[in-house]
Amino acid sequence: MRDARIAAEGTARAQATPMRSPVNWALLGLIVERPSYAYDLAQRFERRFGDVLALSNIGHVYTALGALAERDLIEEIPGTRAGRQPRPRYRATPAGAEQYRAWLVGRAEEGRRQHQLFVLALGALAADREQALEVLARYEQAWLAEGMRTPIARESDAVDRLSALLGRLIDEDDRLSVGARLEWVEYARGQLRASAQSAGARPAEPGEPGR
Amino acid sequence: MSLLELEGVRKRREDGGALLLREVSLRIEAGELAVVWGMRGSGRSTLLRIAAGIEPPDAGAVRFEGRDLSGRGRRLLGEGIGYCHRTLRFGESQSALEHAMVGPLSRWVAPAAARRRALAALERVGAAHCAGLRQHKLTGGEAVRVALARTLALAPRMVVVDEPVAGVDLAERDGVLGLLRSLADEGVAVLASTGESTGLSQADRAFALGEGTLRSAPQRPLAAVVQLRRAASGGS
Repeated sequence: MRDARIAAEGTARAQATPMRSPVNWALLGLIVERPSYAYDLAQRFERRFGDVLALSNIGHVYTALGALAERDLIEEIPGTRAGRQPRPRYRATPAGAEQYRAWLVGRAEEGRRQHQLFVLALGALAADREQALEVLARYEQAWLAEGMRTPIARESDAVDRLSALLGRLIDEDDRLSVGARLEWVEYARGQLRASAQSAGARPAEPGEPGR
Repeated sequence: MSLLELEGVRKRREDGGALLLREVSLRIEAGELAVVWGMRGSGRSTLLRIAAGIEPPDAGAVRFEGRDLSGRGRRLLGEGIGYCHRTLRFGESQSALEHAMVGPLSRWVAPAAARRRALAALERVGAAHCAGLRQHKLTGGEAVRVALARTLALAPRMVVVDEPVAGVDLAERDGVLGLLRSLADEGVAVLASTGESTGLSQADRAFALGEGTLRSAPQRPLAAVVQLRRAASGGS
């Protein structure tokens, strides 16, 4: 009775805490895609996410499965634990599938925040225009190099059609991101110069860094 | 000595307004695919016309194979440099084959030989099926290929292409980019401009042009085959 209460409290606590681990979300996605067991999940994870997201070891999968089950995002398929070599299989609950879709949409916000972080961090150099322009120039170089790296048409060495499709989608996203960033650098450079000019037209305020 | 060298090139807008290019320097080697990215009005087309010798700079030097291009007007076109304008224009009654023959014919190549060269060039760019088509029948990608064929019919050592993927359908775009890459891999220097970052894919060198300044990304090492070809031909 007491154990059940403690378990229920643990579940409630877990459900109230946002799940931040991208590995957990990625594993949930693989289970949404199709029910699976731990070893199979580890292999599919490796194939799907490669260098983008890493599992430290197979134990990572068990930990993640525990966290997902605790939040009622997945459930064990009854009867799959039977036999001499029990291999429990997991499937996504309706809530798990729904939350996975919501998490995916939230990635857009995450991407925007990452760039916002760069812009805000650049603010530390805004008082020294030359330094800020130097960073912008190097940032631009990095994006130009990224543009050069994107393949023209990815060779179809993918193991399946889904992987080939995902590869093409990633390439196109890379290319479009490069364009957006290069245009932003042009804009930011112009704005920094304009801001420095207007600042030069007024006397420095007390405590303001020298220009 | 580089195949193409621009040193300290300056160019003001034709109306005498803003500086489009200020002290721009650039070197292109044989077998390189170099792409200049820039926003509208950045001067990327002007830079390409100067690099091709079509338009003189206000100041600075432009040399192709060591020869000064300034004052030579369009004479070097067809003598090593091929230039593709972003808009393909050929006569209403002209077929793609006839269009591709114009270069050789204007250099007094006999019609039969000009036809053979044009057909080979159309074949090379994957547009042999367009030979009998009029301009209005061509897709955006095919139009770029035919424009390149006209240039290639004169066997240039450097091709300058203004916005090869502008207005080209997404499905055809990679084919055009792959074609430019393959020309460079065969040893032709390719200098292209683009307003879309997609045009930078697999370039050996990428530049951003803005506020009259040309900025570059770190250079990619050239493919081993290009280095071997250069060594075999005694190039540096």
